Amino acid sequence: MRFHFPIFQCPPQAEALRAEVRAFVAEELAAGLWQRGGDFASHYDAAFSQRIGARGWLGMTWPRRYGGHERSMLERLVVTEELLAASAPVAAHWIADRQSGPLLLRYGSEAQRGEFLPRVARGELFFSIGMSEPDSGSDLASVRTRAVKIAGGWLITGRKVWTTFAHLNHFAIVLARTGEGGESRHGGLSQFIVDLKAPDVKVRPIVNMAGQSEFNEVILDTTFVADDRLVGEPGNGWQQVTSELAFERSGPERYLSSIRLVESALACARERPTPRVREALGRMTAKLIALRTMSIAVAAQLQNGETPNLEAALIKDLGNAFEREQIAVFRALGAELPRRSDEYLLALAEATISSPSWTLRGGTREVLRGIVARGLGLR
Amino acid sequence: MTVAPILAVDALVHEAATRAFGDLAQRWFSHDLGREGMLAAVEQLGFTDALPSPDGRDAWPTAAAIIRAQGRSAAPIDMALLLATGDRAGSISQPPGAYACAANADAPDSPATLAALSLGRCLQIDAAMEAALELSLQYVQDRKQFGQALAKFQAIQHSLALAAEEVAACSAISDLALACAAREGILGARMSALLDAAAVVVGRGVDVVYDVCHQVHGAIGFTQEYALHRHSLDVLRWRDHLQLLRGGELRCAERLGDAALEAGSVWRTVTSVMKLGDSHD
Repeated sequence: MRFHFPIFQCPPQAEALRAEVRAFVAEELAAGLWQRGGDFASHYDAAFSQRIGARGWLGMTWPRRYGGHERSMLERLVVTEELLAASAPVAAHWIADRQSGPLLLRYGSEAQRGEFLPRVARGELFFSIGMSEPDSGSDLASVRTRAVKIAGGWLITGRKVWTTFAHLNHFAIVLARTGEGGESRHGGLSQFIVDLKAPDVKVRPIVNMAGQSEFNEVILDTTFVADDRLVGEPGNGWQQVTSELAFERSGPERYLSSIRLVESALACARERPTPRVREALGRMTAKLIALRTMSIAVAAQLQNGETPNLEAALIKDLGNAFEREQIAVFRALGAELPRRSDEYLLALAEATISSPSWTLRGGTREVLRGIVARGLGLR
Repeated sequence: MTVAPILAVDALVHEAATRAFGDLAQRWFSHDLGREGMLAAVEQLGFTDALPSPDGRDAWPTAAAIIRAQGRSAAPIDMALLLATGDRAGSISQPPGAYACAANADAPDSPATLAALSLGRCLQIDAAMEAALELSLQYVQDRKQFGQALAKFQAIQHSLALAAEEVAACSAISDLALACAAREGILGARMSALLDAAAVVVGRGVDVVYDVCHQVHGAIGFTQEYALHRHSLDVLRWRDHLQLLRGGELRCAERLGDAALEAGSVWRTVTSVMKLGDSHD
């Protein structure tokens, strides 16, 4: 078997947690604290992130000495999938909790862990990703941002783009060239923690086609970054960046982006469901079961200390295709949905206009299929 | 703290069955073995005793390993039918090398047999798709056009990646149904929803895999002399039968949709169907 996704179950304590999260979501909605909407990369609410931090739902798998809660990846999965399924405002903490924190835990210095992780776990400190550049998208090894060593630190010069919420978040982890790349171009890259509020860091909004400015251009011009803000070893950036990928690509955010569309369609059809609507909802249910089975397997493998990057790429490609399919299916249903609620129409419009980004962010469809092909021995 | 998978694959059974069915298939295709001989050999190996009783659970992983090994080998003895129904004559009655859309085949009356046969079909289909994919991966390495192996073309790489993704998704959902049978029994509360879900996912997955594997093979894949057709015909036949057993892909989807409407949420239906009961309930 080329790719194997063993069957795991969420343990009883994780299922107990699911009930807690659902009750919390119901309370928050009843109190009118937020509306369902957006996704992990757009629905931002720093106060919400603080509230779930206070519940112990951020930094869940990290050691207690860094403010974590020493729970399992499967418990973390339950919390993240329930918040996504509720279309809750998770965007503020999402990157910090999902990948910046684990990166610092693995490669960061003791001082960095002590300084950043407890605040991330409390939902007070948010990170952005500083990878893409105007001329470096899928071909990440071609980044041109340079960091030059000087006494006491580094001077970084370059432009980062598509830096989601750089205007609101506190720090970005910036990938920069510090030396020669060698033939593979994977050498000579390093990661730095850059303070987005520093006066010599310019953050400019990039307005997307939906008219929103969630992502930004971040301009660094001989920006000074102290030695203690280098993450891991200089020159080890490529390995560090790729170690984030299994966290980045396998999670439920890769197949739940349009769950609100599905659930709001169900709500519209509940009184008089036509056979076509029943079929559409059933197809979504079936595909979700398959995707979630695979996603749980990757969470369990991460818990067991494995690095299932290949499996994660595979899930993301399938999951994104599924998210796209939902839009086509529900749009085609038209009047089969008797009373199309405002909630449904909003979800349909939001999903339709956001959908091009789904198969780009976190690895394009083409890059992912290339990774899968390499796993098949074709490259 | 590590977590253990709930479905243990018995490596010894898997290896023994893979070798045995590989041998049987080879002897069959070299005209060294007849159909009765194949049935006798399978009985002698003890493979016919592997069917779990309706309330038996522990035997399912072994039965699944046997069914998968046969499904991968293209040996023309229908182990899903044999293990689910005990129908010895039926298990060797399928004319090899032929395909016709199944007519209104009778679904077994017993719910346990119906579920066991549905699960067996899913496992067989996954295994045969894997075999077709393996052949395709080998073929594109060997075959050269425009001065290079087909495997070097990005269009070919991406097509096969897509097929492999579908095979992975189909295997995952079939394995989940298998884990349910091994934990809750074949008449467990979640079994029929999981089998409906598997039938929907596998039904679509076959379309992609059948298309891609033949496309990358070119005309040779469409011949009797090359092995791909054996796996393709198995996949098509077994999918037809799976759909007949469950009333068709649309009805499977409708039933799942009804469960979601009843629960008021697709997501809640997904999490509840996937939360398998304890093996000692």
